[in-house]
Parts: sequence; C-alpha cells; structure tokens
Amino acid sequence: MIQTDLSLKSREQFVMASVIFELFEFISSRIPHIEESSLIAGLRSKDKASLEYLYDHYSGALYGAILRIVRKESVAEEVLQDVFLKIWSRMDNYDPSKGRLFTWMLNLAKNQAIDKIRSKEISRENKTGGIENYVSDVRTGEFAEQRVDSIGLKETLASLPEEQRFIVDHLYLKGYTQAELAEEFNIPLGTVKTRLRIAMKQLRLILKV
Amino acid sequence: MSGILEAYALGDLSAAERTAVEKDLVQYPELRAELAKIEEAQEQLLMKAAIRPRASVKADLLSKIEGNKSEARIVVMPSPVWKYAAAASIAIAFVASYLAYEYYGRWKASEENLTALIAQNRQIAQDYNTVNQRLDKMQGDMHVIGSPDFKRVMMNGTANAPDSKAYVYWNDKTREVYLHIENMKTLAHENQYQLWAMIDGKPVDAGVFDMNSNGLQRMKDMAGAGAFAVTIEPRGGRSTPTLSQLQMLGEVVKG
Repeated sequence: MIQTDLSLKSREQFVMASVIFELFEFISSRIPHIEESSLIAGLRSKDKASLEYLYDHYSGALYGAILRIVRKESVAEEVLQDVFLKIWSRMDNYDPSKGRLFTWMLNLAKNQAIDKIRSKEISRENKTGGIENYVSDVRTGEFAEQRVDSIGLKETLASLPEEQRFIVDHLYLKGYTQAELAEEFNIPLGTVKTRLRIAMKQLRLILKV
Repeated sequence: MSGILEAYALGDLSAAERTAVEKDLVQYPELRAELAKIEEAQEQLLMKAAIRPRASVKADLLSKIEGNKSEARIVVMPSPVWKYAAAASIAIAFVASYLAYEYYGRWKASEENLTALIAQNRQIAQDYNTVNQRLDKMQGDMHVIGSPDFKRVMMNGTANAPDSKAYVYWNDKTREVYLHIENMKTLAHENQYQLWAMIDGKPVDAGVFDMNSNGLQRMKDMAGAGAFAVTIEPRGGRSTPTLSQLQMLGEVVKG
C-alpha cells in the first residue's frame, strides 16, 4: 500500500517536472522571436523597441544584400540607413497579405541600392566578384548568431548544382533581375525562369522549408 | 507554375504582373502558402549571407529617428522593454509552475486525508448503530424482566446436565415467551437445544436455540403452559422431544 503510494507520488512528480520543463522550453523558444504580427503592430505604433528589434534581427541580411549591389561600405551604410528610415515612416504601406515583412524590406533595400548605383553611375561591372569574396568577409560569420541552424551560406550553395548556384548567386545575392541576367550572360529568359524555379525547389529542400 | 512566385518574392515583376499575382494570392490560399515557403527560403538564404554593418550605423539611425531635437549621440542604448518583459514572463512562469506543483501536492494530500476521514466517520457511525441496537435490546430485555405480567420460570439441570440453568419469561396474556440462559453446555454443531412447553401434560415445540445468544431470546408464543423443558435434538429440532436427552426442567409457579 505504502509502496504503491510512493510510486504514484514519484510518477506525479515526474509528470509535473516534465510539464515545467516543456513550459520552459516553450517560453525560451518564444523569447528571441517576436511574432511578426506583433512586431508589425509595434512598428506601426512607432514603438522604438520594435524598430531596434527589427534592426538587430534584419540589418545584417539587408546590409549584405545592399553591399553586394553597391560594393562600397560607406555607400551601403547610407543606403541601409535610408531603408530603415523608409521602413519606419512607411510602415503603413506594408500589406501583410502581399508577403512577409522581410520580403518587403528586402525589396525596399534592393530598389534603394539600385537607385543609388544609378544615381552615382556605378556600373554593373563592379558587381561581378564571386560570392567567395563575401563569404570570406570576416563579419559574415558573426551573423551566424541570428539563425540557429548551423549550415552556412557556403555549404548551402555548395549543395546546389552549378547552374542553379549561378542563378541563386546572381538573383538572390547580387541583385540581378532575371532580364539582366539573361542579357548579360546570354541565356534565354525562359531558361532563367525555369532554372530559378528548380533552384528554389532545391534550396527549399536543403533549407527544409 | 512558371516561377512567377519566386520572381514576385524577388521583386522582379512588372507592375501589371505584380497586381495579377496579388489578386491571385487573395483568391487562392494554397498559392499564399506556397509563396510563404518561397519567402521563408529566400529569407533564410539572405540571413546566411548577412554582413554586420558597423555599430555606428544603428546609433545614427536611432538618433535620426529621435528627431532633430538634440545632437547628442546615443552611446548606450537602453535595453528594450521586451527583454525585461520576457525575463519577467519566465520568472512568473517559474513561480507559477512551482506554486502549481506545490498546491497540487497539497491538494493530493488533503484529498487523501479527506478519504481517510470519511472512512473513519463511516466506521464510527456503524459502531454507534451497533451500540444503539444493543441498548434498545437491553431496554427491551429490562422491560420483560421487570414487568409483573411476565412469569419467571426457573429451569434447573437434570441428571444429564446438573450444572445447567436457564429462565423462561412467559406472559400468559400476550403469550410471549423469552428465554434467558444462565449456564449451559456448548453443543456440537449438528445439535441444537429445543425448548418445550408442557401444555395439558403434552410437550409442545417452543423453538430451537443455540448457546451463543446474548440477553433474552424470543421463543414461540405459548398459552396455558404448566412447565418448560429443554432437550438436545438434531439441528433444526424435532416434533417430539428425545426424553433421554432432557437437560432442564422447570414448573410454572401458579398465581
């Protein structure tokens, strides 16, 4: 009788302990990530903490995209700042039904960067360096902390076939449009489109999306 | 699909194409879900390709947002409120979990105690009933013994059982008969004592009994008995007494 009481008690303790553990896991998994909807609400209400969170979380990805287009740190910094000021002042223009917040910001950043190089007459030739140049950038590695998964950019791209890697590199990282890519490298536009689709499929497989 | 969603996420569509896609997105949820995955992959890729801007960029940006009120640069940024909120949430969650566990334990213990108390209470109630019944019986017995309507017939042991002794209380009007055993031998299981009333010189069965009864024992009603006797008979009794087994005999005192 006492024996069963004891085992019952320890089982209850075990259950309680696992419940607490689960709860903790749940909470800790939520902490570093503000729900996108509440982040958007925060930004719309001009909450500075939300902007800081947004900056801490996304500035690296946006800066990388800008830098790969404008090729000059001072110019890229200027563009990055303009982009965040735009996000801050034009948050009401963002419509979540049309896509993720990051997509919207990325396109703002790319457009801003392209506008910049046009106004400064920085030619396309400047952007032909290989990805390796960026990957080996000392500060790239530091951004591993923004994502928990450990596969780096290099490994991710390395697992793509050459043709697809080329497409991803130019369209996603170097800011080429499909038309520009087709023209500059003499590839039929239809082929570029097909390869983009296949490359994204492959990428999703690698990234488990 | 033609890769149009990928191009849409890349911002690589004409205004007309964009509008068309946006219209379809509203209409087809599965298209929206597909786009979300493409965007997720794109975001992950760009995150991997992130390059950290210099810290001064953030400080500049924040001071610009603060407005032109002050030229003062913000050197140390206050920790965002949400960090404290998160820390507080964890603390509260822990405290709540602990309290939940603590009170769950107490609740369990209380429940066990309550169950024990209920069982104990039931036992006490049973005991009380038993005592009450015994008391009722004793009061009834007292009434019989003390009543002048009852005649007391003393039965003494015969040569078969010289030490045996018992009393019969008999009310001639109501015909009630009670037996009170003073001293009798214990019998083997297959046998029972049988009480007989002698009416007009003939033995009449007044019921069988065992040794283990307490107090007065109600027997069969009788009228006009002149004497009472007890024999040992097979269990269940017989219609006529086995006189060789006569144990006790007592005459009713007239008057």
